[in-house]
Amino acid sequence: MTIFLQATVEGLSLAAIYSLVAIGFVLIYKSMDVLSFAQPALAVVGAGIISSLAVDRGLPFIPALLLAIVLTGVLSLIIERTFLRPMVGEPVFSVAVLTIGIDILLRTFLDSWIGINPRYLGDPFPNYGTLGSVNVGGINLKYLEIAALVTAIVLITILSIFFKKSKYGVAMRATSFDQEAALAQGINVGRIFGLVWFIAGILAAFSGFFMTGGFNTLSQFSFVKALRALPAVVIGGLDSIPGAVVGSIIIGLTQGYVAYYQFQIEGIVGVSLGNGFSLLAPYLIMFVILIFKPDGLFGTEEVERV
Amino acid sequence: MRGRPNLYTDYSRESAIFSNNTQKVWFIVVIISAIIFCFLATDYWLLLLTTAFLIAVASWGLNIVSGFAGQINLAHGFFVGIGTYTSAIIGGIATSSVIGYELDMIIWLPLSGIAASIVGLMIAPITVRLKGLNLGLVTLALVFIGSHLFSNFKSVTGGAGLGRKVAKLKLFGVDLESGIQIGTYFLDKNEILYLICLTLCIFTGLGVKNLVRTRAGRAYSAIRDGDIAAEAIGINIFRYKSSAFALSSFFGGISGAMFFTVSGGVEPGTFNLLYSIIFVAIVVIGGAGTVLGPLFGAFFYTLFPAFILIAIKALEISEQSLPLNLGQIERILFGLFIILFLIFEPRGLWGIWFRLRNYFKAWPFSY
Repeated sequence: MTIFLQATVEGLSLAAIYSLVAIGFVLIYKSMDVLSFAQPALAVVGAGIISSLAVDRGLPFIPALLLAIVLTGVLSLIIERTFLRPMVGEPVFSVAVLTIGIDILLRTFLDSWIGINPRYLGDPFPNYGTLGSVNVGGINLKYLEIAALVTAIVLITILSIFFKKSKYGVAMRATSFDQEAALAQGINVGRIFGLVWFIAGILAAFSGFFMTGGFNTLSQFSFVKALRALPAVVIGGLDSIPGAVVGSIIIGLTQGYVAYYQFQIEGIVGVSLGNGFSLLAPYLIMFVILIFKPDGLFGTEEVERV
Repeated sequence: MRGRPNLYTDYSRESAIFSNNTQKVWFIVVIISAIIFCFLATDYWLLLLTTAFLIAVASWGLNIVSGFAGQINLAHGFFVGIGTYTSAIIGGIATSSVIGYELDMIIWLPLSGIAASIVGLMIAPITVRLKGLNLGLVTLALVFIGSHLFSNFKSVTGGAGLGRKVAKLKLFGVDLESGIQIGTYFLDKNEILYLICLTLCIFTGLGVKNLVRTRAGRAYSAIRDGDIAAEAIGINIFRYKSSAFALSSFFGGISGAMFFTVSGGVEPGTFNLLYSIIFVAIVVIGGAGTVLGPLFGAFFYTLFPAFILIAIKALEISEQSLPLNLGQIERILFGLFIILFLIFEPRGLWGIWFRLRNYFKAWPFSY
């Protein structure tokens, strides 16, 4: 039972991390019909900025974190203005490949800065409790994981209030519903695109921090973690924010359970699944769900004119 | 229609592989100069061009499914990997850790393509149901599933970080590794490989050019331009979508088998996400949906690092003084090229070539 609870907790904290990136994906997709493969790169870039400010420059952690998050948002905004804006109206595939190009650019610069040794982010979480974790009834809770969960819940709540109540939130929903109609109502669609990318950048930076904070450290392979938000988005449906959250929970829990129960699963299935199977499980689930529901669990079915 | 090469009076002439004599002449000139190049160039340039030929073959494969049939495929590297390991099993040498049967190249080369296309057909029930971005995402999953399989089937791949040697170069019982003596001329291994890959490249190119004008080729472009409309006029979507995947993987498999035979060994980590994306980028840079595009893209991708090296030497910059190492400069330029081509020249290198050709057709007049 403790193992089960432990796996659940770890799965949920992973889900929190994924959901932040996933919401960024969905926001961009809903407003611009662009699947941004640059989002995982933005997440690690955010973590990189934190590390360079807090460790290399010696800034206190909290200002460094806030500054890095804003900077990542601005970087994301710049990317939208320079590279994505000329591509409005181009085929979806071209834009997706373009974001892959952006991803290669960002990650090459980041990798050359990271170097071979993993980098710490200079956050105080490893100092709390015993090595950054506390033992509650046999379950090992990491402070970083708890912080990730709380932050994700807070951010998602703020975002949903923002979309429901605020002027820009309503404008964003209008834009995602119908760009031309929104334009006709006097909504500055270009500014909405910028805002969407800014928010997506901020969310990516948050998740980048929780992915690489504490003893997780930032390395050249960190981005693969952020990329696992992609199956979460697909499972939930590319254009559904609740779907992104549910998808992230499914992916996070699967990864947590498979990591702890792989041995038992192998016993039932009868074949060895290999090292690191828990990292592959999200993709397998996505594979299976897409066979039965090509638009994801919560996605709207695409209606096409011939 | 002498003197009026652009006037076609029947369909078979318009859809001919070479629609006029100029194209025929240039085709022969290019091939002959490529063969002459084999005997003049240094080993460095020979190997570079051999790689370019093979990458072109694989990119042509991807172009069939992504360019002609319009299905996003981000997992081409996975199919290349399947081909590579098939050839490694059939043609490779068995050691204590990996299996291998040391068979002839005439057996492993086609089989590596066939194995890849069988895998392509196996996933067809999934890929046919999906389209657009969802298909791209499923193929993305395939990349990760593939690299997981490759690094865990240790008896086939040697395991992550270790790798294995690939197929032996033995054609019709003749061992090509040590070179062969033809009359008074001695062909060494690199020259043989260059010629084999050149032949492969020529036949693939002609095959693709021919495919465009067949029933299947027309069905592919109909599916790309509107799959529902294509279905309405009686095109069997399942059959043609899956055959596009199978054909594309076939070329990928063959190219992979030869590619790693040229380089000598293969490590499962090679077939990662970036490896698959490189092929997508080559097709985009070269010009998706064109016959010559992937060839241009492949040559561009293989040769620009060499030219960067030449430029660095010519400018007398020492490699240590650069802020980034050569591989990183290559990757940054590569990423930039993808972005710039998509924004400024969506038809890719082929588009540039097309405009140049039309400009010089009527030169010095504007039209």
